[in-house]
Amino acid sequence: MEEQPGLSEQYTRASPWPVFVALGLVLTEFGVFLGNYLLPVGVGGVLLLETSVVGILRESGYVDSLWPASLGVGLLVGGVGVALLTVGRFNRGVALAGAGGIAVLAAVGFFCYERGYL
Amino acid sequence: MAVSPELVFSVLMGLLLLVVAGWLTRLEDWQAYTPVGGGGYGESTGHGHEEKPAGLTRWLTTVDHKDLGILYSLFGIVAFAWGGITAMLMRVELTTPGMDFLASFGGVGLYNALLTTHGITMLFLFAAPLIFGFANYMVPLLVDADDMAFPRINAIAFWILPFATILMWAGFFLPLVGIDIQAAKTSWTLYTPLSSTMQGTGVDVFLLGFHLSGFSTTMGAINFIATIVAERDSVSVPWSKLDIFSWTILTQGGLILFAFPILTAAVTMLLLDRNFGTMFFAGEGGGAMLWQHLFWFFGHPEVYILVLPPMGLVSLILPKFAGRKLFGFKFVVYSTLAIGILSFGVWAHHMFTTGMNPRLTASFMAISLAIGIPSAVKVFNWITTLWNGKLRMTAPMLFSVGFVQNFIIGGVTGVFLAAVPFDLVMQDTYYVVGHFHFIVFGAIGFALFAAMYYWFPIMTGRMYDRRLALWHFWLSIIGGNITFIAMLILGYGGMPRRYATYLPQFMTWHAVATVGAFIMTFGVVAFIWNIWQSAQYGKRVDSGDPWNLKQSDQFTNEWQWYEGKRQTMLADGGEEDADDAESNAAD
Ligand SMILES: [Cu+2]
Repeated sequence: MEEQPGLSEQYTRASPWPVFVALGLVLTEFGVFLGNYLLPVGVGGVLLLETSVVGILRESGYVDSLWPASLGVGLLVGGVGVALLTVGRFNRGVALAGAGGIAVLAAVGFFCYERGYL
Repeated sequence: MAVSPELVFSVLMGLLLLVVAGWLTRLEDWQAYTPVGGGGYGESTGHGHEEKPAGLTRWLTTVDHKDLGILYSLFGIVAFAWGGITAMLMRVELTTPGMDFLASFGGVGLYNALLTTHGITMLFLFAAPLIFGFANYMVPLLVDADDMAFPRINAIAFWILPFATILMWAGFFLPLVGIDIQAAKTSWTLYTPLSSTMQGTGVDVFLLGFHLSGFSTTMGAINFIATIVAERDSVSVPWSKLDIFSWTILTQGGLILFAFPILTAAVTMLLLDRNFGTMFFAGEGGGAMLWQHLFWFFGHPEVYILVLPPMGLVSLILPKFAGRKLFGFKFVVYSTLAIGILSFGVWAHHMFTTGMNPRLTASFMAISLAIGIPSAVKVFNWITTLWNGKLRMTAPMLFSVGFVQNFIIGGVTGVFLAAVPFDLVMQDTYYVVGHFHFIVFGAIGFALFAAMYYWFPIMTGRMYDRRLALWHFWLSIIGGNITFIAMLILGYGGMPRRYATYLPQFMTWHAVATVGAFIMTFGVVAFIWNIWQSAQYGKRVDSGDPWNLKQSDQFTNEWQWYEGKRQTMLADGGEEDADDAESNAAD
């Protein structure tokens, strides 16, 4: 497994991320905006969007390691969630704050991994 | 206890994320997690198999402008089919005055939904993506760039479109599987208070899709501007040598950059009004007029967003088959820029009958009439290009000449509409419908067909079937003129637009319009069949210059690139060449 290069290294004109950035964005807007029983769709969408944004930033070389990107994306999404909470949108607020929190936790994990604490 | 929908959706989303994660792990090697160092793209080796993986994965992961151009074009053709089917359902219903054909499927409600989706689909999902398709494929070649400025953004912009389209069309298919989400019946202009008070989640789902498609367009525009300005090879293609199609794409990008944020903001406000109790468009707030001002401040530039690149295509293609350079190239560029700027000062000509201040209507009338001048400059340039030329009536040439004919009728009827007194009489009649169909199908559609035939050899390595292409042209121009002239006449008679039923006195011309629509449909079937078949089994192109452009010294960059590509392939050995062309053609 270690020997094989990943798709984006092997092929200069291919990237697995754009389609998931798009899908994540669409599911996020759809699920979070409509809310109610579609909120789980929104949460899944946010997680997909966060992952693919971090992935595409790393792949294109805009960031060198995963943790700052993950932290930034998590704080952004979490911030929107907290803002929604303060205006009384409880369900959507918790959903976004939670999804942002997961990305922040992931950032902590990446940080420890990169520094060799894990 | 029954299973709650929340639980179902949570499980489904969990599964989706697992599948995605699984697929990604297969593609990417997580162990080799190291910074890539610089952009991972741009080193084109000119050797297909090292640039991209094979099969379906290639199309899902590609960031190559040529592949994305093909994907955009395919998407545009699928949308064109949906827009055409909905149009034909309406035309069949309109053959007779009463509600009969659609009665058992949903009656007037279904008609209104078809009307809405036909307009939105043809403008935002057929015309715009097909323009982006050709621009994606050709602009980087025309300006001597390796690829678009942001290849990944390019792919993201494309992939938003199909997902957004699912949301925009969902209302037609969900009721069939028992989900009560109805298609929007707001008309494409989404006028408030109708659109802000119409009940049903279907309208919201549609609006969300529409909103997202706007992101896609804006991303695409930024990418084209950046490509033409920054990725252009300034030695081989200085500004003075930039081709006319790239000029129009650049201008279009500027228009999109200024117009689409307004649409996005307006749609956001509409969604908030509908779902979160804001009052932007309520009577106590901005009212119905606020929507119209915002919508048309976007909506009129949108007309030029859609028509400028087709004008560029015709300006590019006509000279090739007239055997001489485009007459007054500079003036065509200047008129493009002039139209681009003026297009932001005319929006209220859609609102003359709303009771706005008459002094304001006069100024909007003046600018709307003025915009006819640069448009006429272009027409005269096209005609003088043809004058005394050695005309070769190939399919792309026929469609370009057809464009000029349709554009003259569509343009002149538009100049009349710009005059306030005339508009007061004709507003909301079939005259308006006839006018803009001459532009949207007769001009924009024709130019896109011309481009499709002109670049077909580059995009597929094969030639289209000439006879079918001729059928396509003649059926389209005859059918189109019958239908749209019948609409103009209906408008003079006072037939109002957007109605599913009408008074018996209008029946004759409605029947004529339906006959014309069927003629056009046969032409479109010939087109789609031709493209589909020829891409797979058409005669292989046997030179880098299938149009004999070298003869008249018009062998432009994209063809030079194509000739170079063919030579590399020959040098590599025929086997691989055949395989590559095969896989190209099959998709
Ligand atoms: Cu207008």
